[in-house]
Amino acid sequence: MIELIDVEKRFGGVAAVEGISLRVPSGKVCALVGTSGCGKSTTLRMINRLIAHDGGEIRLDGQPIDSVDPVQLRRRIGYVIQHTGLFPHWRVARNIALVPRLLRWPKERIEARVAELMALLGLSFDELAHKYPHELSGGQAQRVGVARALAGDPDILLMDEPFGALDPLTREKLQEEVARLQSSLHKTIVFVTHDMDEALRLADHLVIMRAGRIVQQGSPLALLRAPEDPFVESLLGGLERGLKQAALMRVRDHMGSLGPSLPSASRISIDASLRQGLSIMLRDHAERLTVVDGKDVPVGELSLRRLIKETQWEQPTSP
Amino acid sequence: MGTANVAVKSRAAPLQWRWPLVWASLLALCVLGMPHLEALFRLFEPDARQVVYTRASFATLLWRHLSVVAVAALAGIVFGVLAGIAVTRKRGRDFMPLVAQLASLGQTFPPVAVLALAVPAIGFGTWPIIMALLLYGLLPIVRNTLSGLLGVDAEVKTAARAMGMTPWQVLISVELPLAMPIILAGVRTSVTINIATAALGATVGASNLGDPIIAGIINNNTAYIVQGAVVIALLALTVDSLFDMLQQRLKTSRSAA
Repeated sequence: MIELIDVEKRFGGVAAVEGISLRVPSGKVCALVGTSGCGKSTTLRMINRLIAHDGGEIRLDGQPIDSVDPVQLRRRIGYVIQHTGLFPHWRVARNIALVPRLLRWPKERIEARVAELMALLGLSFDELAHKYPHELSGGQAQRVGVARALAGDPDILLMDEPFGALDPLTREKLQEEVARLQSSLHKTIVFVTHDMDEALRLADHLVIMRAGRIVQQGSPLALLRAPEDPFVESLLGGLERGLKQAALMRVRDHMGSLGPSLPSASRISIDASLRQGLSIMLRDHAERLTVVDGKDVPVGELSLRRLIKETQWEQPTSP
Repeated sequence: MGTANVAVKSRAAPLQWRWPLVWASLLALCVLGMPHLEALFRLFEPDARQVVYTRASFATLLWRHLSVVAVAALAGIVFGVLAGIAVTRKRGRDFMPLVAQLASLGQTFPPVAVLALAVPAIGFGTWPIIMALLLYGLLPIVRNTLSGLLGVDAEVKTAARAMGMTPWQVLISVELPLAMPIILAGVRTSVTINIATAALGATVGASNLGDPIIAGIINNNTAYIVQGAVVIALLALTVDSLFDMLQQRLKTSRSAA
């Protein structure tokens, strides 16, 4: 668990970050979102003491980070940055092995770990382990960056705009991959992004920052339903907000039961999002869709009328 | 640092020995075969009593010349690189302009003047020339160490720190290896210049390849001058091509980025 309590950072007397309090429970993903210079990266870097905080307290699993040697602290926190920060004079395998080597794992264990991580991130060991970072594509390099961050098996992962330098297709693929990894690894993750879609896709907890302060925080759905001020609302997509919210909702949770006959020739998977459902309705001029399971067997119906009537869109959620 | 090496097969480029070998062979031929070239040098000085310098063998002169340059270069590398490292650390950063200026001053001060000042202070012999060469050769080493270390990608350094490397590990495993090609280029410049400059040592009693040249000037014997100059030039070419070989190797075995 990561806790920040009233954390503050000043650069030359000017507060860069002030009054930051947030809590990331173990195994959850927290996104710090905001425009450039809002202090989100500073906040992230204070967690592994790359930047020292001037006020408040930061605790990892209840332990204040000031009480731990910064070098030891960093070895148990994974860190991923935008331009990978891979060592250009080291081959891929050695880059990934960095933290295990610092932790003085035995050689066999390190080798096994490198092979395991490369497989986990879809990197071919035979093809890539002996390449230098400049011989990799942007996507491959960032996968190596993630592998390096995970190598020491840290409980906590910090990511500073991890996919910011990638083209949209590669970015989306890596986001999916990280979401897939997280569903099995359950790391406690804090990541910084200015891409709201990325934050909505990956985060359990959203923290919106502006000018060194937290403007609003909460679950993605809670924020989408009730943005507290125009800044948050515009970050959340303004008029597109309804669709973004639909993207976070599953067909599974909003379908009706199947009548005697199939509602429509148009089909949608039970695992799809409501946004995809709405898109198919528009495309096929259908107000109702047949929901099918993984084996293409009809299991329910998705009705536009029901969605509009019953689903909570704009109303604030009652706690 | 642990020494575990993760399944890395060696792919370093083979060393390109061709030019160093060519120059070294020519140098060896000249040094060992000088006494047999009398007929050739007779062309320069038909009337002189003697046309090949014999007061000391060229092999001895070469050895002394190389030793002086090597000692000055080693001292230059130690001082220059340490100074460069010191002023790129957090605590030493304030001294960076000072060190850069001192190094420049060393090079603007002519070696002849250093010799003239050093001899009264520490006497004739080898030490004044080593001191002059050290001061003269320091600038390229300091300057290149600085630009090499300052040129290391900030993100790479941040990543190194964030992964839990100690400042010492960051320096040894990341900064110095990445700055090495540039530092090496500085050492190359320094050493090559100093091979030529070391000949001045002959004027203050440090016997080396400058001897035939000085003797030639004093006795008005062009053949002596040519002998000294050719051997020094071949030595400079040999050493320079060795450095070139090392640099090529560094360049091909890792990324420049």
